[in-house]
Amino acid sequence: MSNQPLLQIQNLRTSFRIGDDYFAAVDDVSLTVNENEVVAIVGESGCGKSALAMSIMGLHPQERTKLEGKINFKGKNLLSLSTNEMNKVRGKEIGMIFQDPLTALNPLMTCGKQIEESMTVHTNMSSEAKRKRTIELLKKVGIPNPERTYKQYPHELSGGMRQRVVIAIAVACDPLLVIADEPTTALDVTIQAQIMDLLKDLQNQTKTGIILITHDLGVVAEMADRVAVMYAGEIVEIADVHTLFKNPLHPYTRSLFNSIPSSTSTKDRLHVIQGIVPSLKNLPRSGCRFKDRIKWIGDKEHEVNPLLREVSPNHYVRCTCYKNFHFSDEDVGDMNYGIS
Amino acid sequence: MAFLKVNNLKVYYPIRGGFFRRVVAHVKAVDDISFELNQGETYGLVGESGCGKTTTGRTIMGLIKATSGEVLFENQDLLKMNRRDFNQHRKDIQMIFQDPYSSLNPRKRVLDIVAEPLRNFERLSPAEEKKKVQFYLEKVGLNPEAIYNYPHEFSGGQRQRIGIARALTLKPKLIIADEPVSALDVSVQAQVLNFMQDIQKEFNLTYLFISHDLGIIQHMCDRIGIMYRGQFVEEGTSRDIYTNPQHIYTKRLISAIPDINPENRENQMKLRQEINSEYKNSYDKYFNAEGKVYNLKPISDTHLVALP
Repeated sequence: MSNQPLLQIQNLRTSFRIGDDYFAAVDDVSLTVNENEVVAIVGESGCGKSALAMSIMGLHPQERTKLEGKINFKGKNLLSLSTNEMNKVRGKEIGMIFQDPLTALNPLMTCGKQIEESMTVHTNMSSEAKRKRTIELLKKVGIPNPERTYKQYPHELSGGMRQRVVIAIAVACDPLLVIADEPTTALDVTIQAQIMDLLKDLQNQTKTGIILITHDLGVVAEMADRVAVMYAGEIVEIADVHTLFKNPLHPYTRSLFNSIPSSTSTKDRLHVIQGIVPSLKNLPRSGCRFKDRIKWIGDKEHEVNPLLREVSPNHYVRCTCYKNFHFSDEDVGDMNYGIS
Repeated sequence: MAFLKVNNLKVYYPIRGGFFRRVVAHVKAVDDISFELNQGETYGLVGESGCGKTTTGRTIMGLIKATSGEVLFENQDLLKMNRRDFNQHRKDIQMIFQDPYSSLNPRKRVLDIVAEPLRNFERLSPAEEKKKVQFYLEKVGLNPEAIYNYPHEFSGGQRQRIGIARALTLKPKLIIADEPVSALDVSVQAQVLNFMQDIQKEFNLTYLFISHDLGIIQHMCDRIGIMYRGQFVEEGTSRDIYTNPQHIYTKRLISAIPDINPENRENQMKLRQEINSEYKNSYDKYFNAEGKVYNLKPISDTHLVALP
């Protein structure tokens, strides 16, 4: 890609203090997001995907978190900004959509005022202009009666409508980058489809970059341009969405695909990844982190110090264990992972 | 004869207001639904939040009082029974709850949690009780030595299996699973779903599987009922519903499932738009003046659709 990426994360490590030690929840993550691109970050709970998002936004409590590496956004390293400077970026240039629309909204403020809030902080628009812009935003996110919703409190709205208000807040100041942390997880399927369409529309209009954090591979397939799969704090595979869904390589990615009940797979039993996600304290800090969950793959298949390597253009995979990987219950050579 | 038969079940909640707080209207949470479960099958109840699927499950459990209707379990009406008879039948119907974090008492040990139904219905010596609890823990794939641990020491999937072990101790015939895997990650979800299928075969269980996730429903269920605003819009075998949906609401639900293949993205979006406009245009065809659906009419031996 010729132009400068919008966001460039270099070797980010986010560590939390537990007792007297720091434990890295996000470990050596490098990722770029370009303008007008949707990058999905996929993984199970505890893999560090939300911690990564919060690191970009600078929302971790400073006294208990250590951030190393670089997050370059518009030529600035976000990690070196002071709180005041960060406040100017947050909400203005980077917007965030939170998972649960009920807890993300203030129950004591009307929806209109909440959308106006970020405009009050970041611009010096007159109150009449703000009101006009808010109503315009509410219309844009597909709320049928924006004048009424402007005066309503969050509890008066349904879940889908609330999520639309949260999206309106995130895009109120025309951000260059939107981080969407599980934007549809708390919603019904039909509402989820509407919200996905809405995000795509907004993105087409404004050319924002979106980081989409989710555990739902269906949502990824419908929205993302590029996908990063995270496991235990590390990115284990990055590729564009078509490559990744057609040809997933890392054992973890393949296991994930096999464990979703989908209409295309005719198998009666779902694939189960053996073992459990290691907790932050018990993470193996060296070697392949997925090793313990694919014990039938011999030690010599793994790298001692696994790196993210480019296996084909723009397709990166960590560790060499993918080369000879097979599921424990399948014959070697049977490479059908349920995607037609 | 059907194993469980629900006839014209209604659950209404009064809305009070005005002078003397009289009943001015009703919220019709469940509005005149009928369905049957055969022994050994998995029946899926699907719908969006607020459609009454959980209320239906809880009414069958006896946790919510029905306004009218019949729930025939092995030919006896659970709703007309006196308390003592009902408690005897309650042994045969157990529930798996949605959230494994809030459905286990954090101050009780696993032994006490799993043994609670046993203590209510059977008189066992502590040694027998312990043996039985350990037997079921082993069945659900947990370490039987873990009986003195507390729920917080387990992961989400393990907790859900403790909940399942608790539901199994009285050898129930029917299990009502209310969104049993919604709170779990995909890989853990797979584990719990596989396991539910295993115990179904082993104990000859019948499941009433309540979920909003159509992918899981398709994977698990033999027959499916689709609910909308307290009523059924369509009922049929898994095949009927997924390959030949008739009601516009069902079509809309199915088209909303994200397609796992990114190549189909455009088609899926187009299909969704078509169905949405059809939904808007032909609303009158499928819903009556009050916005209610019509009564179910059979279109094949297994397939019922709510059409005028």
